[in-house]
Amino acid sequence: MSDEIKIVGLLCNWCCYGGADTAGTARMQYPPNVRIIRVMCSGRINPSMIFKAFEEGADGVFVGGCHIGDCHYDAGNYKWSRRAKIVQDIIEEFGIEKERFRYEWISASEGEKFQRTMEEFHKTLSKLGPLELD
Amino acid sequence: MSYVLAKSKDDAILKAGECGGAVTSIFKYLLDNGIVDGVLALRPEDDIYDGVPTLITNSEDLISTAGSYHCAPTMIGNIIQKYFSDKKVAVSVKPCDIRSIDELIKRHKIDPEKIYTVGLNCGGTVSPIVGRKMIDLFYDINPDDVVSEEIDKGQFIVELADGSEKGVKIHDLEKEGYGRRNNCQRCDVKIPRKANIACGNWGAEDGWTFIEINDDKGQELIDGAKKEGFIETKNPSEQSIEARSKVENIMIKMAKKVQNAKFGDAEAMDAWNRCIGCYACRDVCPICWCHENCELNKSYFKDDISTPPSPIAFQGVRLSHMSFSCIDCGQCDDVCPMDIPVSLIFDKLQKKYYDRTGYVAGVSDDIKPPLYSPDKVEL
Repeated sequence: MSDEIKIVGLLCNWCCYGGADTAGTARMQYPPNVRIIRVMCSGRINPSMIFKAFEEGADGVFVGGCHIGDCHYDAGNYKWSRRAKIVQDIIEEFGIEKERFRYEWISASEGEKFQRTMEEFHKTLSKLGPLELD
Repeated sequence: MSYVLAKSKDDAILKAGECGGAVTSIFKYLLDNGIVDGVLALRPEDDIYDGVPTLITNSEDLISTAGSYHCAPTMIGNIIQKYFSDKKVAVSVKPCDIRSIDELIKRHKIDPEKIYTVGLNCGGTVSPIVGRKMIDLFYDINPDDVVSEEIDKGQFIVELADGSEKGVKIHDLEKEGYGRRNNCQRCDVKIPRKANIACGNWGAEDGWTFIEINDDKGQELIDGAKKEGFIETKNPSEQSIEARSKVENIMIKMAKKVQNAKFGDAEAMDAWNRCIGCYACRDVCPICWCHENCELNKSYFKDDISTPPSPIAFQGVRLSHMSFSCIDCGQCDDVCPMDIPVSLIFDKLQKKYYDRTGYVAGVSDDIKPPLYSPDKVEL
């Protein structure tokens, strides 16, 4: 059943996407449930995108950005980190468990961290089961 | 910040105005001296339950705006932003009005140089329909016979044409589901300290208006009105100041109690499912000003119009846009055709945001809500 879990992953071009790439080229295995969407910076992600993903049937949404201080555009990940807190607050109000939304800082060299994060996230979501919005 | 007691020197205003008529006199001073182009204040149209924001340009007409109107839950911020942004206006504001103005100033939609704000202390407003119903039920009075109403010492008091008064405790009214609007019961900003001056009768001697002067502009206002002979002033006693802060603290305490009781309900709220996506809450919201470019109108959020919107994709988007700036004015509750308590969740999220950042919408002196800040800080 866990194979039906759908994860939308919004990854920043400069770090986390590179991290996923590193994991891939090193042939590290991670759950294939994640659908990756590359964005230029975590700072361009709006809360609306997360909500839209949930509405369209995602069971979990993952956002990956550069480590704090490493943003290619200087402060994009700070902006995202503040928005992320609002997303957490809001999804709770709509009966979506806050574990279904996760964000992490992963650099381009941290393929192993990307793999580990995806495995953990997949496990959490498998436990929660598919998201049912009423 | 300083305190002063003031009273009108005009007999007609003294009689028509609430507790000293200082507010009306200050408006008269501003109009007569050409400091402002107009005064935006509430004027009753059909009856006392029908206060309508009106722009007064002739100081003779000011007298018709005197008095208090608790049954007129209006919102001033978006009116100024939409229609009077190029005019110099003086405006009377409740705490939620000045908070909306403050949030719009932060969004560069109102020029603070162009407006004079005369704040009115506010214990809450009553929806006109609820007001009529409760006067009928609890007071045994025909609502049409009431000539004026006021809120004093925890009572909602109505006055009849023959001068007789009847009061009922607001607490008792609210226990039965009447009384102040829900958002007003939750509201913990009772004195509009962002306005140039904040006026009210709390702690004031009979026939005087207690004024808190909040900034230099407010000081100029009082000094000017006094010099031109529109008002007389005196210093309040220590007891008055204390009595006033006591009233404020009691009200805030009551509001916090209601918040604690009500915010729990929001989570289990299935009321969102009643939403028909009419956009009325967005259109009426004083903080939401960018309607033409609203994300909810984008093609990717326009669902098939024959199905009700998904709460997370409709209210969720609005929440993420402005809940941190929600001033709890309750306009969204008032306009919702499906009676969804919209403001409850917006207000709850602004309080959550406050817990995280210390930012109170329309009250904090920060230049911008932290979400808009370019600073390199995490929450």
